[in-house]
Amino acid sequence: MQEFVHFLQHDVLARISPPLGALPDQIVLLGAILVGAAPIVAFMAVIAMAWTYGERRIAGFIQARYGPNRVGPEGVLQPLADGIKLLAKEDIAPAGADRPLYELAPLLVFVGALLPFVALPFSEKWVISSMAAGVFYVLAFEAIEVIGIIMAGWAPNSKWSLYGGMRLAAQMVAYEIPMGLCLLTVVALAGTLNLGQICQMQGGAFGVGNWMVWPWVSPFATLAFFMFFVGGLAATKRAPFDLPEAESELVAGFHTEYSGIRFAFFFMAEYAAMYVVCAVATVCFLGGWHGPFREWLAPAAGAPTISDLLGKAVQVKTADGAWFVWANLWGALSVLGKWAFWKPMLYELLGAFYLIAKSFFLLFVMVWMRWTLPRIRIDQVIYMCLKVLLPFSLLCVLGAAAQTVFTDWNLLHWLLSAGK
Amino acid sequence: MTAIERPLPRPELETEELLVNMGPQHPSTHGVLRLVIRTDGEMVRETWPHIGYLHRCFEKIAQEVTFPQVVPYTDRLDYLASMNNAHSYCMAVERLAGIKIPPRAEYLRVIFSELNRIASHLLAFGTYALDLGAFTPFLYGFRERELLLDIFEKVSGGRLLYHYPRIGGVARDITPEIAKDIEQFIRIFPQKWAEYNTLLSYNKIFIERTANVGVILPQTAIRYGLTGPCLRGSGVAYDIRKAHPYSVYDKVDFQIAVGQGEKGTVGDCWDRYWVRMVEMMESLKIVDQCLKGLPEGPVQAKVARVLRLPDGEAYTRAENPRGELGFYIVSDKKRTNAVRCRVRAPSFCNLSVTHEVAKDCLVADVVAIVGSIDIVLGEVDR
Amino acid sequence: MSDFFQHFGQTVAFIAITAVVIGSALAATFAKSIVHASFALFFTLLGMAGYYFLLGADFLGITQVIIYVGGILVLLLFGVLLTSRSLDQLQIRSRASYIAASAVGLAVLAMLWKAIIRGPWQHVTPVVPQQTTQSLGRLLLTDYLLAFEFSSVTLLAALIGAAYIVRRREK
Repeated sequence: MQEFVHFLQHDVLARISPPLGALPDQIVLLGAILVGAAPIVAFMAVIAMAWTYGERRIAGFIQARYGPNRVGPEGVLQPLADGIKLLAKEDIAPAGADRPLYELAPLLVFVGALLPFVALPFSEKWVISSMAAGVFYVLAFEAIEVIGIIMAGWAPNSKWSLYGGMRLAAQMVAYEIPMGLCLLTVVALAGTLNLGQICQMQGGAFGVGNWMVWPWVSPFATLAFFMFFVGGLAATKRAPFDLPEAESELVAGFHTEYSGIRFAFFFMAEYAAMYVVCAVATVCFLGGWHGPFREWLAPAAGAPTISDLLGKAVQVKTADGAWFVWANLWGALSVLGKWAFWKPMLYELLGAFYLIAKSFFLLFVMVWMRWTLPRIRIDQVIYMCLKVLLPFSLLCVLGAAAQTVFTDWNLLHWLLSAGK
Repeated sequence: MTAIERPLPRPELETEELLVNMGPQHPSTHGVLRLVIRTDGEMVRETWPHIGYLHRCFEKIAQEVTFPQVVPYTDRLDYLASMNNAHSYCMAVERLAGIKIPPRAEYLRVIFSELNRIASHLLAFGTYALDLGAFTPFLYGFRERELLLDIFEKVSGGRLLYHYPRIGGVARDITPEIAKDIEQFIRIFPQKWAEYNTLLSYNKIFIERTANVGVILPQTAIRYGLTGPCLRGSGVAYDIRKAHPYSVYDKVDFQIAVGQGEKGTVGDCWDRYWVRMVEMMESLKIVDQCLKGLPEGPVQAKVARVLRLPDGEAYTRAENPRGELGFYIVSDKKRTNAVRCRVRAPSFCNLSVTHEVAKDCLVADVVAIVGSIDIVLGEVDR
Repeated sequence: MSDFFQHFGQTVAFIAITAVVIGSALAATFAKSIVHASFALFFTLLGMAGYYFLLGADFLGITQVIIYVGGILVLLLFGVLLTSRSLDQLQIRSRASYIAASAVGLAVLAMLWKAIIRGPWQHVTPVVPQQTTQSLGRLLLTDYLLAFEFSSVTLLAALIGAAYIVRRREK
């Protein structure tokens, strides 16, 4: 991100007109954030929409039937149709509902699901904010979503809605603990809270060898991965942990009183939260953007970065008016023909592809589990959290800490190098 | 007394007892049943089923229309076991009238009763899974049920309500094509059955939800007049097809499934569910044997056009998928209709045990219990 | 001019966060229903986290969100929503309580004002250490180890006490 800001400031703005280049860092940062935020919000929206389609299609295939396959080729435009339908619905609020809270709740849930995207890397250099405390940040903003759910349960002024929302919130909060502890396992092994650095450590043999999830790297991390995934399923209230939604289906769920676009917000927030959980699991356990064949594209130490190249291409011959902006555009496009531009670009793109592919695979597993397994009863859910996941995740943290102290984060490397 | 042992003086936290109302319309519908549940926080204290939402005056109608005209109405009692209902009613009328039906008709009745049993249990299996949150077994079960429904449609014209067993026999004979369809079904069903077991029966979550839940003790079962899989799930080996064989059930070889507490206690939800699963395979055996041993001959006995029964009364019972369906007919030789036609519906008695069993459990357990009893409101309310 | 721009971003952020904090605090104080007050408190706490981020204390800001918003506020909301006797909570305010509350509030404000005016404030250009988490961790486990252990024992005692109080009595 810093690089992008630098690029914007010195290579784009300064060349378009010198006073613009003298803008202070904060303003350019703000501009860069707005420019960078748009793709993230768009990505989140696309993910949410795509997975509404994906879930229904996969569900269809699991259930020996077609899913939606009419709207668009193989039904890929179904979410568009759903979106239009939901937007056109009447805005009904129950009588006696707390109007301001009723309108605020879906927004809070949506924002709570959207905020972790700021710290999520999409590739080595593609991250909005490479925070020093990235892991911690992702965990923290689940809290906002919980408050949103409580608000959503309260606002419709219905007893059943309230109890449904409370139970859901309790489940989410309960499962944050084992999730946090499992991530703590990785943090203990990696020695940093920064998601980018955690991922960077996991390169290695063929791009696959050093992932935290392999038992030869750290058996505690392997266990932690599965527990994190289960905890993630529960924290995003996915089946088999969706009893509060379903049981109160017989009475009233917390989001039955919401219709139209408000309901769509909850829905999208659910898929966004699922993606965040899967992406965090990918980055921390599954090696994130590392994958086979990627090292061939790795940029050499002194090679020009994408920003350098783009900056050179957008050169203004003289500081004079719009005509040279068009000339710049042509110059910018000319860079697309150079391998020197494509090599680092493909490097990043391939990394992004691996990361998203792995996250999507985990999302697929989540969808698969939803359509295969029955629901777990609420007392069994809490039992599992407090009596199974919590002790084992504490054990994992302890083991990871011991491993870091006595050996290295990567057991196999330590064993191989200890012999020398 | 130390400081810890002396109880702190504090006001008791009052917890309200709530009356929760489930139904008459709910998403996982067993029909129009209303369950009023008194809950104390999470725990269910008492459950009262309220019925009558589907009452259609069957018994009164039976007193108005003639005996053959009642047969389509019997289809609609337990609308998932239409063949079985008509079979039972026709047996009652035939016993009073002294009609002996041709052997081919007997075998056909048994074949279709057992196929209907499989279809009914498939639906029970699917909707039970749906109640518990597993969406896929429902569709898998219905995939096989469609095959059966196609067979029924070919032989009777209807997919759900057949009007096929008639007084004096059955409506029409099966064609070789139908026989081939049935054989095809017999061939493919066992591997699908194994699929259901892998998917649901031995699934840990399903077992956690159903084992040791809703335990009906054998004495309780007998006291409440339970029959069918509910009774056999509690370990009581009573099946009308073996205890008081009717039609050709004494000529075929099959086992009755009895709950043995494999996964938990004898008489829990899992046992009742498992009895239904095993019964499906046993019915398959019966159909196979009957199809192979199908005698030639007519399918209808000679019955008077205007049927009058002599004075008398008869009670016949048949083993429906849900239990003992009994028809008690009082007839008068001057009338073309029954003086009284009383239906002993299995689901009515089975449902009554809910009050006894669905207490001191969680709300989610009530759903599991009612689903495992497998009621059809059509025969509860008539 | 550039000096102004340099502080501009920080000032804008500070003003925005203060508006949120004070606005929601006022809403929490004067709200008619406890539920509204609790949700207004949510924004106040978020604003406090915003202040921490503005000062460069990223770890502390995130901790504020996790502990206060995710823990304490959730607990507060559970308590308020589950124990309310009726669904609308109207506070009947008498004139007397308004006057008393304002008087106490003004007195506290006067004391704080005096302390703020008199305090020896220094202009320090904040050096933002990149490794706040590591520095905090190191301090907690070396210089402030006793306080750290003590607080964890206190939390454990509170946990056990809470479990004891709400256990079901065998009737």
